[in-house]
Amino acid sequence: MSALTKSAGSRKNRTFPEWLRSRDGQRVLVMIAFLVVPLVLLMVFTYIPFAEMVKYSFYNMKYVGNRKFVGFKNYIKVFSRDDCFGALKLSLYYMGGSVVQLSLALYLATILSFKVKGGNIFKGFMFFPFLINGIAIGFIFKFFYTRGFVFDTVLQWVGFNLDSLPYWLKDRSINNISLVGTSVWRYFGQNMVLFIGAIMSVDSELYEAAMLDGANKFQQFKYIIMPSIKTIFVLNVILSISGSLSAFEPPYVITDGANGTGTYFVVMHEIAHTQQKVGLASAMAVVLLMIIFIVTVLQKLFFKYVFKDGTE
Amino acid sequence: MKFRKVLAICLASAMTLSVAACGQAAPAAPEASDSEEAETEEAAEEVEEEEAEEEPAEEAEAAEAAEAAEGGVPTYTQLDLSKYGDTEATIKFLHHKTDRAEDGTMDKMVAEFNKEFPNITVEMEAVTDYAEDSLLRLSTGDWGDIMFIPAVDKVDLETYFMPIDSLENLSAELNFVDSWEYNGQCYGIPYMANAQGVLYNKAVFEEAGIAELPKTPTEFLEDLQLIKDKTDAIPLYTNYAAGWTMGAWDAYVGIVSNGDDTYVNQKFVHTAEPFKDPGDDTGIYNLYRILYDAVANGLIEDDYTTTDWESCKGMLNRGEIGTMVLGSWAYAQMQEAGDTPENVGYMPFPMTVGGTQYVSAGGDYNYCINVNSDDTNKLASLIFVKWMVEKSNWCFNEGGYTVVKGGDNPDMYSAFDGCEVLSDKPAKAGEETLLNDVNAESELSFNAGGNAKVQRIVEAAATGSESLDDIYADWTQVWNDAQEELEVSVDY
Repeated sequence: MSALTKSAGSRKNRTFPEWLRSRDGQRVLVMIAFLVVPLVLLMVFTYIPFAEMVKYSFYNMKYVGNRKFVGFKNYIKVFSRDDCFGALKLSLYYMGGSVVQLSLALYLATILSFKVKGGNIFKGFMFFPFLINGIAIGFIFKFFYTRGFVFDTVLQWVGFNLDSLPYWLKDRSINNISLVGTSVWRYFGQNMVLFIGAIMSVDSELYEAAMLDGANKFQQFKYIIMPSIKTIFVLNVILSISGSLSAFEPPYVITDGANGTGTYFVVMHEIAHTQQKVGLASAMAVVLLMIIFIVTVLQKLFFKYVFKDGTE
Repeated sequence: MKFRKVLAICLASAMTLSVAACGQAAPAAPEASDSEEAETEEAAEEVEEEEAEEEPAEEAEAAEAAEAAEGGVPTYTQLDLSKYGDTEATIKFLHHKTDRAEDGTMDKMVAEFNKEFPNITVEMEAVTDYAEDSLLRLSTGDWGDIMFIPAVDKVDLETYFMPIDSLENLSAELNFVDSWEYNGQCYGIPYMANAQGVLYNKAVFEEAGIAELPKTPTEFLEDLQLIKDKTDAIPLYTNYAAGWTMGAWDAYVGIVSNGDDTYVNQKFVHTAEPFKDPGDDTGIYNLYRILYDAVANGLIEDDYTTTDWESCKGMLNRGEIGTMVLGSWAYAQMQEAGDTPENVGYMPFPMTVGGTQYVSAGGDYNYCINVNSDDTNKLASLIFVKWMVEKSNWCFNEGGYTVVKGGDNPDMYSAFDGCEVLSDKPAKAGEETLLNDVNAESELSFNAGGNAKVQRIVEAAATGSESLDDIYADWTQVWNDAQEELEVSVDY
């Protein structure tokens, strides 16, 4: 903007209306006209509410009624309460799940991007869960894991004895794994499709050349596919990691966060809506944002370092 | 020049909008928008003129409104339904009874209402997640004329709702109206009242050889054991997974647990050790002990984490469940859920204080009226509320304890003969929000969505991770911390 006005001003000493009518002025006007709608939307629905939330985090307040300014007290509470930060430990389960999810997605994507019989049907089946509403998935899995229902029945067909099977949601040593399973089931298809898309964009001549040079499938994967889909891969990793920090739907719908499955988001929801401690919940949200921010930067640095060594 | 013109048009339209916003000054709007295309000075002049014209008109309107208000909205007890048959208005009613909206009960009642008041149109909106959504709606102000009071602080009542009548007048005619009283004015009237007892299946009790209903926690646990030994039914169904069904245990704190109707709203927050064992099978200690011991002795469902609220209704009806600890509102639903409604029974909570079994009864959600509605709508809303309370029979049909003094009670309450039915007294003046504050600060949230703390009892008992005394010690700790934080005096 400033560069534009300067260049316009230096041409002639024009008045403001004259400048508006000139080519430069019209260009600026058009730019503003196009930008104003998305910017207003972005401001009104993202940044202003966010600023409000940051403001709330310094108050002791409910949704209705009086507010009291308490400074950093809410932030101190976030760090001193067991349930707020303890809930982040559960994210490790979800991060573990995202590793499984990404490797599975990458493996299947690689296979499916070569010529496979019925490839599209497989793609369709595996992508399908992503199209189902998260709440519906919650209800499906609630019954799936119920004692003696779907999962147990299937396992009994395979020869397991019902008495030797654990209670999938009751047993605290595995209930989080059960929940992570639902999230892997839902998202790996989507990751897979993204990977396939990226792999498709690889020039097929590269494979031919590699074959002529005597490279096998694994070498093709390592030296052609992997470097070509680096961007998408990093993006998927970042999305899954921040997704695991903010896991919400499976524990909220299936177990209501009870029995040691309350993730950070579920605890935040409980504090904001049941306990009505809006200030504290806002502070939790801000802290989580900071954590995601830091984790993302760390990942960026990590990948920059790793890929630099690995491929060049 | 162009810039000034733009500015003038902006100002002109801003003025137009503000003029148009003043009630029925609407006819001015089209003229004013024409003027936007006119020349600058003209536009400005015209708007000025319009404003000058509007002022007297507005004054006149305001005077008219004041006159109307002088007749004013009568109070609930003053209102004589027979005199207002020709009232004309459109009112909106926000409620949580999604099931009754779906099965047509709400529409039927409104149709009945319209026979007597044909010119009052009632629009209804049923909200699924009422406890949370209603609060959000309330804070935006966009909710209509009548709603059920959500969990607001009593000091805020007058900001949102119209006082319906004084407590003195209202309590002469209706029960349970003191729960939303503030400075002597009532802001809400319950649509029905619930008594707090225990649901049980009569056939299961018979099969287990239980001739007399249990009267103490110890007897109750023995009976549960009998059910387990002699029948295939689940003795006590916790409904752990639904969450709120666990919070339902809180309803027995106070009147049921110690026979004191001033306990919950007046003494609880001032008690140093509310969770201490009084040693005579009463008190909050023994209330949750029932749950802990039942879980520890395997007297509940096998996998509590996958319980399902909808299917438990049929299970109780069919005799697959022995007992469930829920308010009387659930009775009708249990009866409707299967082929043997005659087996569904309701008994007082098994706790006897000083030889008497106490029953706590209280209003369910309360009707309230928007303080910001205009007088016509306020009047129509009050008519609707009064009609719903006194003439709709809704309370009786839902199996509720009667709200109108001397009204009929459904048969289900026959087991309550000989019990003392009390309702919680309101908090002392100046301490209206104290329980809410201590509840929120301690996060135990008694009777306010504190489901997690009751779920914790089940988890602890099932896994053996904590003893009941550990849990109570922890609760006492957070309770005392909250008292300290909020500077609440500890008197008991």
